[in-house]
Amino acid sequence: MSEILIKNAYVIDPISGVNGETMDIAIRDGRIVEDVGGGAEVIDARGALTLPGGIDSHTHICGTKVNFGRYMSPEDMRAGRTARHGYMHATSGYSVPTTYGNSYRYSRMGYTTLLEGAMAPLEARHTHEEFLYTPLQDTMANALFDGNWSILEAIRDGDTKRVAAIIGWFLTAVKGFAVKLTNPGGTEAWGWGKDVTCIHNPVPNFEVSPSEIITAVVKANEMLRLPHSVHLHCNNLGKPGNYTCTMGTLGLIPDLNKKRQTLYATHVQFHSYGGSGWSDFCSKSEPVANVVNMRPQIVIDMGQVMFGKTTTMTADGPMEFNLYRLHHDKWSNHDVELETGSGIIPVLYRRKNLVNAVMWAIGLELGLLVKDPWQCIMATDNPNGAPFVRYPEVIALLMSKKYRDEEFATVHPDTESRVPLPAIEREMDWYEIAVMTRAAQAKALGIVDIGKGHLGVGAEADVAIYPVRADEVDPAVDYRKVIEAFGKTEYTIKRGRVVSRRGECLVDGNNTTIWVKPKISEEYNMANDPDFIAKFDRYYTVRMSNYPVQDEYLKRNLCIETEAEL
Amino acid sequence: MKVMMNTGRTVDQGANVENKRSVAYRDETSTCFMHFFDMMELGIDEGENVLVASPYGRVVLTAAADDLIKPGTIFVPYGPYANHIIGGETHSTGMPDFKSTEVTVDATDEPRRTIYELMEELGGLPYDH
Amino acid sequence: MIIKDTVCPFCGCLCDDIEVTVEDGKIVATDNACTLGTSKFLGDHRMKSPIRRVGKEWKEISYDEAIDYTVDMLLDADRPLLYGWSGTHGEAQCVGVHMAELLKGVIDNTSSVCHGPSILAIQEVGHPGCTLGQVKNRADIIIYWGCNPIDAHPRHLSRYTRYANGFFLENSFRDRKVIVVDVRKSQTTNLADEFVQIKPGCDYAVLSALRAIVRGKGDDLPRTVGGVQREQLFRIVDLCKKAKFGAVYFGLGLTMTAGKYKNIRNAIELVDELNRHTKFTISAMRGHYNVYGSNEVNTWMTGYPFGIDFSRGIAFYNPGETTAVDILARKECDACLIVASDPAAHFPRPCIEHLAEIPVVQIDPYANATTAFCDVQIPVGITGIDAAGTAYRMDGVPIRTKKVLETAYPSDEEILGSVYARIQEVRQP
Ligand SMILES: [Zn+2]
Repeated sequence: MSEILIKNAYVIDPISGVNGETMDIAIRDGRIVEDVGGGAEVIDARGALTLPGGIDSHTHICGTKVNFGRYMSPEDMRAGRTARHGYMHATSGYSVPTTYGNSYRYSRMGYTTLLEGAMAPLEARHTHEEFLYTPLQDTMANALFDGNWSILEAIRDGDTKRVAAIIGWFLTAVKGFAVKLTNPGGTEAWGWGKDVTCIHNPVPNFEVSPSEIITAVVKANEMLRLPHSVHLHCNNLGKPGNYTCTMGTLGLIPDLNKKRQTLYATHVQFHSYGGSGWSDFCSKSEPVANVVNMRPQIVIDMGQVMFGKTTTMTADGPMEFNLYRLHHDKWSNHDVELETGSGIIPVLYRRKNLVNAVMWAIGLELGLLVKDPWQCIMATDNPNGAPFVRYPEVIALLMSKKYRDEEFATVHPDTESRVPLPAIEREMDWYEIAVMTRAAQAKALGIVDIGKGHLGVGAEADVAIYPVRADEVDPAVDYRKVIEAFGKTEYTIKRGRVVSRRGECLVDGNNTTIWVKPKISEEYNMANDPDFIAKFDRYYTVRMSNYPVQDEYLKRNLCIETEAEL
Repeated sequence: MKVMMNTGRTVDQGANVENKRSVAYRDETSTCFMHFFDMMELGIDEGENVLVASPYGRVVLTAAADDLIKPGTIFVPYGPYANHIIGGETHSTGMPDFKSTEVTVDATDEPRRTIYELMEELGGLPYDH
Repeated sequence: MIIKDTVCPFCGCLCDDIEVTVEDGKIVATDNACTLGTSKFLGDHRMKSPIRRVGKEWKEISYDEAIDYTVDMLLDADRPLLYGWSGTHGEAQCVGVHMAELLKGVIDNTSSVCHGPSILAIQEVGHPGCTLGQVKNRADIIIYWGCNPIDAHPRHLSRYTRYANGFFLENSFRDRKVIVVDVRKSQTTNLADEFVQIKPGCDYAVLSALRAIVRGKGDDLPRTVGGVQREQLFRIVDLCKKAKFGAVYFGLGLTMTAGKYKNIRNAIELVDELNRHTKFTISAMRGHYNVYGSNEVNTWMTGYPFGIDFSRGIAFYNPGETTAVDILARKECDACLIVASDPAAHFPRPCIEHLAEIPVVQIDPYANATTAFCDVQIPVGITGIDAAGTAYRMDGVPIRTKKVLETAYPSDEEILGSVYARIQEVRQP
């Protein structure tokens, strides 16, 4: 039995309704409890800001495309090297760190749970292997279904139950957590070097449109009663004028779930562009934020861009090729048979580049214009908008108009005429930041019930203690202190163990992989479906019996079983 | 005679590989394929031995005519014999010059050595159980 | 007993449809496997127990003694080299990386002498690729450049290209064009719709000519380039541009010849150019069944695919300096642990001479050329036969190999794990 008592913690725990109370937190055997005995290890927080462990609900940290980002970029590896030290292994990489690099740097920022945003089912084993070497965070993965042939055919046939059954089979087979659609239909079109232009543009050879894919998969997701909603990367990412496509997409979504949103739209910054080309490129954050404000069934994440070097990587193969044609640096692409695609290019976002400056503004605008912080999550689509080590700066920008103005003064002078940012006065408070960096993630992912994102009795003892007196520091003025505090915790506690202290990771770690298994009736069990099996045998290059991720790849894991309506 | 030595996986020998398959690895990797003209110049026939030497070492191989080989070059299947005379320079790539080592080729009466003998020459102790 | 869907641990195709018949604890037959795979499954003459060289004699020793020797050798070394890895599973490779890190040693895998130059090219210009099934289901044009799949990857043609029907190609043999580019005729060239014979060492020039034609600048080309007629070059570009999906596969004929990684870079840039007209991909024909896995494992753990030097605590990568051939030829390393490869058969002479001078331990199921230079060899189970573990196919798809035989041999992971644990006791108390 191990016990910890955190004394004098200045706690903000939005899910439990706690907003800035100085209190003690008792921990026993990895869980929050009412109280502990006199022998408990005592940590004196001295009034420091204490939050549930941070959760990243959309990041790229593990798997085929992330690793290819490292593989092709020795220059990025050199840009972030640390030597082996104590329990910490050597790390490399700045925008795409090695697995240990990710894990240590997230941990020092107080993050305890991460969702890999895009896992190709065929290559899921790779993601799970890297999870094993990301020891200080619990991990889970979105499985990609945007170009899955069996699903496209079931949608064409109007059989939503079959769509659900197929998703259920794949999620269970690959030990995935949630359903991801990346440029639905576009990744299949990219198999021919083509793309879909918007949601009503049909996918070559399959006679379905992105809007049909999105609506069918959203319904199927709810039939499976999955903890998370569909996780959508909209069509047309990064193109001027794409905001109409984004608004049309958000307009498709009914309100189907009482506990959480029905759609999680990711990195919406990249989808809120006006203009007819790069010359009149401008922000359309206002109409997009308005749609979100009117539709509680939608949750978005910001997809904030920060200036500097990074690496872009996504399943959206055609988008990466277009981006490559603008940047001309180097380009990798990796199509995955029957399922999806992916692309990678390094980029440099420049302050003095008008387009980049507008992008930077749009992310912040979304954060500030979406009224309810539970509906807009802080994220950079790590590393696409910026590496996650830039989160403290993003937080500070949301909290300080002064900081925003100072930064704005340094960007391309024409930015002002393209974006509403300078006119936005809102400054987030500590509570709103707590929502946007952990509580909203836990709720959106549907993991509150397994004890994530809060500090109520029974919750997992994932705690981040930041070296800042939230009751004394004015973040709007002292934004530097905000950046410093969120950059390095005093303590990061994971499942009741201090894993990181002032930036130094103290243990080897032992993460949990969270995955879902919808219980489906025999009638809808795809393992027995002759057509599904025949197509699998004929078109995949891996045998169906070798496809599922074996138990050996999950050391410590938590399976969420759901009762599917099938 | 000065020539450029090329090596390759035995499977890269194309048409010749079929005839070589039944022959032991030793015979295969100790063959020096060369153009008939070059053999004439050295005054040797198919199956006779040649001494191939580079700055890194010398090795006896058995000559075989192959009109796909350009005069002035020889081809030796990738293996212990070819490596016996290849150097360790990689020109900052990690990859040695497997396909371009300058060597001299001369007729010789010396016998070909076994792979074991080559290894002993380099300080190894063959294991034969 | 017949075990279906077994994974073949021979080449980078990692075929996973092999039927293995096991009788009385031995594999007696295989179905679906190529000759290379079959010979591996049916292989015999395994080393029975660990051996140690004592003067001019080989002496059998116990596994404990062999592990003791290995631990002492590695702890005593200033600059140990841990080399090989492409013939074992990922789990063992991971232990190897941890071990190299703790020892402040150098870890390198066989890609430095096969597709290392391809990786250098990818690090310059990227890699437009795809999984093998994408090619099987879509590609109407295939180009094999500097490789001979019939001999080296015998089922590549039947599973993915020439003879493989796919979703969009009901009759592959009729609907797919196969172009083979090589310096000499081979069995593969006989199967080609179009054979392009280039002069040795002229790959770079021919690739440049093709790029010029794709860009519409072919008028300036001479009548022949690298021994290839201008007309043929134009015809090929025309075929490529008209294709719906093209796939280039290249082999060591491109990585080992003059120009090395610059050849690959040129080929990738040709494919990049073709993507502005249609869909095109390019991929390396990786040799050993898990050489790609060793790149993957090294990359997620250290940031680099091969040639990693931990002597300064950080992971440091500089091919040509931190790669095995260079470390050996410069006589830098003072001990060598070799896992699942045979450098004495494949490395240039100066490397082998140095191996003879330093303590060497090899972990390998069979006696091979390197055995002669070992102080100790530790026989282990063969991954994919008597040990299970992860391997990465040439296209990056990870597959779990199976254990089909019960033998007393420990796996690579078990031996390395014991050695690492002992090293941790000393270096990380
Ligand atoms: Zn993303």
